[in-house]
Amino acid sequence: MAKLCMGLFSGSLDKLTAAGVILSGAAADDMDVEVFVLLQGARAFIKGNENKIDNLSEASHLKEEFISALDTLNVPTWYEFFEMSKEMTNVKVYICSLAGKIWGGEKLEDFNDLTDEICGIGEYLTAAEEADIHMFI
Amino acid sequence: MTQVELIDVAVKKSVDARGTACPGPLLEAKKAIGTISSGDIMEVLSADEGTKRDIPKWANKKGHEYLGTVEESGFFKIYLRKG
Repeated sequence: MAKLCMGLFSGSLDKLTAAGVILSGAAADDMDVEVFVLLQGARAFIKGNENKIDNLSEASHLKEEFISALDTLNVPTWYEFFEMSKEMTNVKVYICSLAGKIWGGEKLEDFNDLTDEICGIGEYLTAAEEADIHMFI
Repeated sequence: MTQVELIDVAVKKSVDARGTACPGPLLEAKKAIGTISSGDIMEVLSADEGTKRDIPKWANKKGHEYLGTVEESGFFKIYLRKG
């Protein structure tokens, strides 16, 4: 079974959504997936923050157009994409411990239900080394 | 299969994914194919252009047979035989 390793650095809504779409594609393909949530990304994974993503990053001037299109096209939220993917295949979500601390998350219970473990950078690099596909978002 | 043959094919499962954009139809197909038996035929209704290429490629990879696509007005039907 193919293995996908994703470094999720971004915490912006557009990239979280893209990450969710890619995960769901991997789920349709029965891939094993490991997501390593790094600096900005970890903010979105703090418990209660999933609907408080105010940063669109690279296209902030198109925020309204983007949000309204997601709604019109009936696109699931980034969180729903992650949830669906976890239901369909083996997806593990790891939070970088430094990133967690930056946003006030020290322990596993400080993060949302998508989160499986808190990890160090060595584990991420080992997973990337062993994966068939590695991407950094 | 030809378009005419596909229209007459006995479908075991029909999935209407016209209300969703990519990756919705693929995810619906993935869920639905688990509910039918090997050899059964499933149709997926979609209005998302990406699905036309995505589902046949996915099916080949997963060992299902892609039978063809029938164009309708404003959407299309993709036919698969479960492997």
